[in-house]
Amino acid sequence: MLVQFLLTGLALGSIYGLVALGFAVIYKAERVFNFAQGILMVCGAYLAYTATTQLGLPFPVAVIVIIAAAALLGIVIQFLFIRPLSGQPLLPVIMITIALSIILKALIEILYGVQPKPLATSLPTGVLILGDVRLSQLNLTAAVVSWVCMGVFFAFFRFTKAGLLMRATADSHEAAILSGVNVNRINAGAWAIGTILAVIGGVFLGQIQLASTELEHIGLLALPAVVIGGLQSIPGAIVGGILVGVIEQLASGYISPKARDVFIYIPLLIMLLVRPWGLFGNRELGRV
Amino acid sequence: MARCADGTHAARRFLAVAGAALSLSLGFSSSQALAFESPQDGVYEDRIDWGVTGDMSGPAAGSQHPWVKGFQSRMHLVNEKGGINGRQINVLAEDTRYDAPSERIAYEKFASQTPVLGMSGMGNSSAQTALVPMINRLKVPVVGTYTTAKASVEPTNPLIYGGFCGFKQMAQVGVGHFANSLKLDKPKVATVHLDVASGVEFNGYMDEAVKKLGGTNVSIPIKVVAADATPQVLALLDAKPDFVAIHGVATTSLLVLKAMQQYGVDVPSFAITYLGTPSVYQSVGEAAGKNYHFVSCFTPASAASPEAAADLIAQAEKDGHGALQDDINFVAGWVVAGLVAEAITEAGEEPTREKLVEILNDGFELPASGLSSKLVYTSKDHEGLKVLQPIGYDYATKKFKSFGDYADFEQYVN
Repeated sequence: MLVQFLLTGLALGSIYGLVALGFAVIYKAERVFNFAQGILMVCGAYLAYTATTQLGLPFPVAVIVIIAAAALLGIVIQFLFIRPLSGQPLLPVIMITIALSIILKALIEILYGVQPKPLATSLPTGVLILGDVRLSQLNLTAAVVSWVCMGVFFAFFRFTKAGLLMRATADSHEAAILSGVNVNRINAGAWAIGTILAVIGGVFLGQIQLASTELEHIGLLALPAVVIGGLQSIPGAIVGGILVGVIEQLASGYISPKARDVFIYIPLLIMLLVRPWGLFGNRELGRV
Repeated sequence: MARCADGTHAARRFLAVAGAALSLSLGFSSSQALAFESPQDGVYEDRIDWGVTGDMSGPAAGSQHPWVKGFQSRMHLVNEKGGINGRQINVLAEDTRYDAPSERIAYEKFASQTPVLGMSGMGNSSAQTALVPMINRLKVPVVGTYTTAKASVEPTNPLIYGGFCGFKQMAQVGVGHFANSLKLDKPKVATVHLDVASGVEFNGYMDEAVKKLGGTNVSIPIKVVAADATPQVLALLDAKPDFVAIHGVATTSLLVLKAMQQYGVDVPSFAITYLGTPSVYQSVGEAAGKNYHFVSCFTPASAASPEAAADLIAQAEKDGHGALQDDINFVAGWVVAGLVAEAITEAGEEPTREKLVEILNDGFELPASGLSSKLVYTSKDHEGLKVLQPIGYDYATKKFKSFGDYADFEQYVN
């Protein structure tokens, strides 16, 4: 039973990690605590519904359309709402992301109605049996895709010029501007990446459940994941997501479903009190 | 002379005008007497205002929004046929977002700001329970609740009338039917339920129904925002039940059914009425959905006789809700609007809140319509719809199928 819980938690936690990674990328780039990350994930489920069910596109084409639409959405959000607030205090930016979340939710309900939509793609839906352990192939695929995405973005930040510029901009906007980096373009890129990651998570969760605005609550589990892992740390977001997934399974399985929140949010409180920069984050030191 | 002639002419003119004024005034007052108005009750010469509250954009919108649409569609039909006693029914719908304070504000509004003859819906059982004292004070009758809280009908309240299948009857019919059809003496049952008040209440009724047959029931809670049902299905594997009862929302029932399939738990299951939607069956697929049923006092259009469903299907298409005609919640809203229309009709040409309550509380009955079981209110019982039937889904025809008539399942209800 323990192995089962651990493996299921790992698979689910990988999706949380993916959404949390998107959150961390945006935070790293612009210091924006994006409360709209949950609803961006919901957008993924509905984009997939539109592409596969409404437009009837073949799945590989649908994937390209979904990713392109997600990137565009991220860029538009950054251009219209975040860029004008550049240099403003934290609160207005946070309020913008909260308002954005409410607006996107209302738009989805106007466009698609409030009934959840069944989402069926050509992703595998069978069961993989390994001894006593049974794993959903869809959950496994979600985990594998999440790990591939994490690997790709890790390599992107580590080994590409664009990734290097993003890291440099995240470290110091002023220094990046002085070095001739187009900071606006870099930030738009970060929003595109963050939105793509959230949307991929939404495609999987939409098929595991239904395409519904209620998925936002699950998407918001990326928040404790990213705080536990470290707000500015890419490996931290991934580890945080997995930890949340595993804790959720163990608490629900061995104690009660309600215990899930206690065991996820207590580590978050402890982390904020004892090590606010998270497991993998760097402590910021300032000279006085 | 001339003056006299002028005076006579003026007097005649005066008399003619006065006569006309008098007859106009008499005519006006007689028409006033015919066209009864009682604005404080939401009753006007040409219309009656009726309130509806429901979650149209919150967490329960997936089920309550179709209910409101069903109610409105039925009233459109009533109005197209000339209304009730010459008055159109004006439905004032308030989105309460499954939120108790919003429900309270809407009820107060219906009591005095935009007064209504009565109201329907109130789909949040906690809000309903909290509002009972206010309902008793402001006296706007609630006719056809979307969910019926225990505190609303026990003891009987002359101002509140249930309009949905009760959890108690859902448990009784589900347990009775499956124990009977699987030929079980002492059934072993597992109830997967949300860890909220209504889930605990349903599990309590399951306990009662199963114990009556000498069996056992295991409670397996699940969170409303669960992303996975592995712990619940591992508990099911441990309990080895003969059948499973499911209380929850569409997403949790889907997770449970998919996880049951994943772990090879191939036992029949039945869900509460609210989960009788085509989207659940379509999402879960045939392999997991063929053994899944729901119990309901309403019949989806595709499982009803063509005659019984004809008006609903035609009006749903006309109102742009064709996709909802098989949604059990749309049917429920349609049926409740029919109940309201019948009650207003019986209240006569001069309806008031008081008269409406009198009509309903004195003993009111609506026969089974083909879309629902018989509805009965007595002065001691306001639950209304008591008999349910199990309903399944035929994947080949993409239609719901009943397992008999409502009368066949009356034996399980007490």
